[in-house]
Amino acid sequence: MIIHPELCVGCGRCHPYCPTNAIRYEGQKSVIDQEICYECSTCLRSSHCPVDAIAESHNVCDYPRALRRYFSDPSARHVATGIEGRGTEETKSADVTRRCGPGKVGVAIEIGRPTLGMSLLDVQKITRAIARAGVHKIEPHNPIHSMIADEATGDLKPEMLGERLLSAIIEIEVERDQLRGILRTLKEVAGEVDSVFCIDAFTVVGPRLHIPEDVLESIRAEGFTWRPNAKINMGLGRAWE
Amino acid sequence: MTHSLHREGSLDSLEKDYVLFIYPARGFNYKGSAPKVRHLVELLYQAGPVNMCVTTLRRNLYSGVKPEEVLESIKVEGARVFSVFDCRDKLKDALIRIKEANEGISIMVSGLIDQVREIAAEIGIDPYMVNLSLGIHGRTDRLPPADIREFTTMCGHGVVSPYLVRDVIRRVKAGKVTEWEGSLIIAEPCACGIYNPFRSSELLREKAPLYTVDRW
Repeated sequence: MIIHPELCVGCGRCHPYCPTNAIRYEGQKSVIDQEICYECSTCLRSSHCPVDAIAESHNVCDYPRALRRYFSDPSARHVATGIEGRGTEETKSADVTRRCGPGKVGVAIEIGRPTLGMSLLDVQKITRAIARAGVHKIEPHNPIHSMIADEATGDLKPEMLGERLLSAIIEIEVERDQLRGILRTLKEVAGEVDSVFCIDAFTVVGPRLHIPEDVLESIRAEGFTWRPNAKINMGLGRAWE
Repeated sequence: MTHSLHREGSLDSLEKDYVLFIYPARGFNYKGSAPKVRHLVELLYQAGPVNMCVTTLRRNLYSGVKPEEVLESIKVEGARVFSVFDCRDKLKDALIRIKEANEGISIMVSGLIDQVREIAAEIGIDPYMVNLSLGIHGRTDRLPPADIREFTTMCGHGVVSPYLVRDVIRRVKAGKVTEWEGSLIIAEPCACGIYNPFRSSELLREKAPLYTVDRW
């Protein structure tokens, strides 16, 4: 995003809306730090600039900077997935798609969340760690999959590594008995990244929302805990196509 | 949108916060989904969500959009709906209506596991999958304080800025806006419509006295 200096009146109204604090004063005008900006468009959508000085960057659609927008602007439709946002439908329609069935556990690593953002170098640190742990298949419908240069090493395409995103999700699926190893890997790589990540673990449940004990035991064994709130697929969907 | 499982707060506060998604699946039940989703949205309105957004319009409940405009917009296949309820009873009412309608579109609920388990048992639903949050890792020292994250994590896309929350707290403390007005200001950037302004108002009432204008 940019602020046209000839229009800006320096009211500062847009400053607090930026999730990454990229808007600051230069003299009496507001400017957006292009290095920090994630192209999420929040300033344009919400801050009600009184003189319409906020606009898209001239290079927002140029590769690789366009990645910032695809991953960070909730209204941008990602070219790799055909849906808005940074992830896939993961658990949301699993009762219909039967994705991540019995015996499996899905693990999603939400990098940059909550609201901190990150460099793609941080994503690569995690994809490399996962590859070293023996998991080479990132969910193919997730946009991160198309950014991997080498599945064996977890390396991302090098031209992307200078970009920064508000958030991205690495989604993998493992056998239940592999969950402990992956969680251990994530615990170790947490000390290497310069941002934060949230971990999601999704699994099919038994009657009355009974969470499989071996999944919970793996989580406990690696020193993790789970929050009292979760996202739950209510099992009301069916396929007809 | 995955982020709704990471909403932060006390148990008392999270008891007033349940997110409900309506989600057709590409390649499985997209075709013919538009009238079904539209019907489900009609039912949601009857249950009284405190916020809602449909992907066909991308305007939340407080944007001035009328229910008929929202319903009218649901013409394309694959429209998805994001909503939030401020109490267990309303969520239960919504799920009863959705279950009876039997439209076959996937329904997700983000909320306290024990509460959702109870509701499901009460109305005879067997949930299929759970997505657990295993917390935040890495440079947590770079995060804003936990009480600010109680606001920001209510947006599924993470575009509610901690700096905006701080600014609104300052304006509430200065008497320039009420807690409710402040909550609507914070909710506005949330393009997904799952920011809960009722919970946010309570949080502002609770947190504002703890902050001086210059803290953090």
